[in-house]
Amino acid sequence: MNLKFDLPAAQQSAFTPADGEEIRYCSPYDIGTDGRLKHDGYIVVTNQRLLIISGAEVETELALKDITFLKCDPLVNNGILIVRTEQDPEERILARFTMKHVSRVAFIAKGALLLRDGVPKQVISREYDKTCPVCGRALRGTKECPKCSHKPSVLWKFFKLCGAYKGWLAIIALLMLGVAVVQLVIPKIQQVFIDDYLKAGRGGMKEILIYAGILIGITIITILLHVLRYWMCISMGTKMSMDLRQMLYKKVQILSLSFIQDRRPGELMNRIVDDTRQVRRFMEEAFAGMFSCIISMISVVVVMLTMDWKLTLMSVVFVPIALGLSISFRKNIHRRFHMQWHRFDKTNSGLQDILAGMRVVKSFGTEKQETEHFRKLTDDFAKVQERNEVFWASLFPIISFVMGMGVYVVTYFGGVGVLEDRFTVGQLQQFINYTWMLYGPLGWMTFLPRMITQLMTSLERIYDVMDEEPLIKDNAEAVDLDIKGEVEFKDVTFGYRSYEPVLEKINLKVKPGEMIGLVGASGTGKSTLINLIMRLYEVDDGHLLIDGVDINNLRIEKYHSQIGVVLQENFLFAGTIYNNLRFAKPDATEEEIIMAAKMANAHDFIVKTPDGYNTYVGEHGYSLSGGERQRLAIARAILNKPRLLILDEATSALDTESEYLIQKALERLTAGCTTFAIAHRLSTLKDADRLVVIDGHHIAEVGTHNELMEKKGIYYGLVTAQLQMQALKGEDAAAAMENAIVADAAVATDAASAVAGA
Amino acid sequence: MGFKNFEGADEEFNLEQMEAETEAMLRLRYLTGDNATFTRTAGGFVSLDIAKGENGEPEHYDRVRVVRSFPFTAPGTYISIRTTEEKSKEIGIIKDLAKDVSKETRKMLEEQMNLRYFTPVITKINDIKEEYGHAYFDVETTEGPCKFVIYMNSSSVVSLSDVRLMITDLDGNRFEIPDYTTLSAGELKKLDLFL
Repeated sequence: MNLKFDLPAAQQSAFTPADGEEIRYCSPYDIGTDGRLKHDGYIVVTNQRLLIISGAEVETELALKDITFLKCDPLVNNGILIVRTEQDPEERILARFTMKHVSRVAFIAKGALLLRDGVPKQVISREYDKTCPVCGRALRGTKECPKCSHKPSVLWKFFKLCGAYKGWLAIIALLMLGVAVVQLVIPKIQQVFIDDYLKAGRGGMKEILIYAGILIGITIITILLHVLRYWMCISMGTKMSMDLRQMLYKKVQILSLSFIQDRRPGELMNRIVDDTRQVRRFMEEAFAGMFSCIISMISVVVVMLTMDWKLTLMSVVFVPIALGLSISFRKNIHRRFHMQWHRFDKTNSGLQDILAGMRVVKSFGTEKQETEHFRKLTDDFAKVQERNEVFWASLFPIISFVMGMGVYVVTYFGGVGVLEDRFTVGQLQQFINYTWMLYGPLGWMTFLPRMITQLMTSLERIYDVMDEEPLIKDNAEAVDLDIKGEVEFKDVTFGYRSYEPVLEKINLKVKPGEMIGLVGASGTGKSTLINLIMRLYEVDDGHLLIDGVDINNLRIEKYHSQIGVVLQENFLFAGTIYNNLRFAKPDATEEEIIMAAKMANAHDFIVKTPDGYNTYVGEHGYSLSGGERQRLAIARAILNKPRLLILDEATSALDTESEYLIQKALERLTAGCTTFAIAHRLSTLKDADRLVVIDGHHIAEVGTHNELMEKKGIYYGLVTAQLQMQALKGEDAAAAMENAIVADAAVATDAASAVAGA
Repeated sequence: MGFKNFEGADEEFNLEQMEAETEAMLRLRYLTGDNATFTRTAGGFVSLDIAKGENGEPEHYDRVRVVRSFPFTAPGTYISIRTTEEKSKEIGIIKDLAKDVSKETRKMLEEQMNLRYFTPVITKINDIKEEYGHAYFDVETTEGPCKFVIYMNSSSVVSLSDVRLMITDLDGNRFEIPDYTTLSAGELKKLDLFL
């Protein structure tokens, strides 16, 4: 989304920038103070001022340093920009705009506040505009308007892509030429047959048979050529879409998570599946047809011209007329059938609604109303359908008539020519045949613009992904490192959006084999910290060192193979348990797998299922409980004997008993393995060597459980809060105490008194 | 309490508070010219004073939100007056703007609602062009001429009654046609596809 529009000359003249002042953000606003739509308003943010410019006048001017509060307030179908300043502490409306600019202004407001605070970061928006800000055309999920952007056009890229299939294209072109030649030859043979044999009276049975034989032979050749051409086109289209699909898939995998998370999951899927299918369909249906039409039309006209240029001109004159008429007919027909489709859609969804809500309908006893409602819908649909069918039935002959206009003209003037002996009968027949060939494909040609646009749209969406540069990629000097497990954060700052840091200046050194418990409120950045260690994102500022080497200098694949990850929501692929466990280590032996499963306390439940390790899990397979999934995920993570283990709420779906068992097992396993664990249940972290409390983008406290309890800071508050909650749940206080982390009797009493105090 | 916001502690933690919130949820307070005073602020909003609030104490709000409960069917009744923060709370409801408050207040609140709701009424359709799944509208509205684009699917044009249409464009802007039967035959023909 463009956050810096070019300021038109009129508005530019309205203000004179001071020394060193330059425009950083600029957006139109389109509702005036009187509530009417306007087209000449701009919100401008420079590195010094915020200006509201209307026409050639500056309506409001504020120094950034005076602004105390600036916010875009989304209302219903419009939005306003609100400001508070040093001088005027009351909230004031600066500008009002339609939904087109709401999100843009929200970003700009953030950018203005950053400028005020002297933060040198430029806010960018990864959102896409819905319509092109320049030409107003609807954009279909692409960054730039294909019509207005001046980068090498998609069509050019498509030609380059086609270059990879040169051989195929050459063969297809030859075949098309062959078809064209054969088509031209048939009328010629007819002419010779009529003029030299039938009319000359020289023909006998033998000549007729030869003629019929030649005709059959040529027809068979034509069919063969057509089949071959079609077959080639289909294979090429399929190959092309398969190649595109694989390229896209590869690209999507390389692209960083942020690219994928910025999009709806269905969107990428559509690009990989639907858009490539669109390319295939075009190659199959339109590509060959398009060129063979053009080739045969041109060659027909050339041959006709050599025969009689006057008559040719007469028949060609009607081509544009027939083309125009058929386009307008098609538009009308499309309109009508769209309407029909619209009604059909309505009827369908109405029916679906009622059927899905049948329980409600029955229990409220409103069957009659619903029947009436549905009858109305189907009535509507039936009426439109009837009208359309009648229209279609009466219109189609008219269209055919119009399309044949050129032929009638040729027949008339050609006939006159024959009577005046300028033509032979055979030549007339030949000419008429050529005219039919000229008009035949016209109807089909009118669909071409639509097909080409569809192709272009799909290609644009495909290249939108292809042209994206991955944010995380291997350095040129990336090294393979067998890691020991030392992790060091040095002044690490990171935010999913560069202007909104989630972690700021994090400093932490973790020794190999240490277990770190991460604690903090939701949204403080615990999972973000872990994402950084997993290198799903790159740090914005500072360094993250693994064994003293910057994480950016490690080869990604090798690094990832040494990390084990268990998340709260664990994704299992459709397949057997066995295959899922082997995911990170495809060559694992059965024994290794059983050992890993045992350690994750999963072996028993796996063996209990009828198919054991071969049990199919996934969409239509055995349904696992949350706890079982988690145990499988743990087994999967430890199978690879990782050097770094990441547990993000890894045991949250387990009951206390299994959790205890797994923890015992993990303890043995994680000996010598650096572990980062996030847990909601603080008791899970009781064995952590150190606890790190994250609060307000920073590390607030670091220490062992006992140290932090004594400190009576945030961690202490958390522990007491959890105790209170358990007490509220009506659990026995003693049990609550046992479950909590009570290493220190004195602290426990402390906490207990806190419970009593509440 | 300081640690109230931490994970786990935020649910089920404060029973008393939950009770109080349930009470607040069920409360329905009607505001009239007698118990509430609205005043324009310099910034273009409206502030509210309630002389005798819930606990007998006076209540003051620097800026309130004025929200319609039935924006399509009853824009002048059951106006919810709310606080402006993110988790906006209801301060009270004005049952009928025409009866319950003074003319001056009514005008003030209507201004606020005009600010909040922006739905230009289409007065004339110059052109509707259809292209590859989108329709491009060129219209005159009560708020000036306007061009916009909609998706060609059934949710873009919704009928609010037998004659009233609501059109939503790609960006989420809304346009209203209060009675499409009053459009000229030419305009109707252009709109036909969406009826």
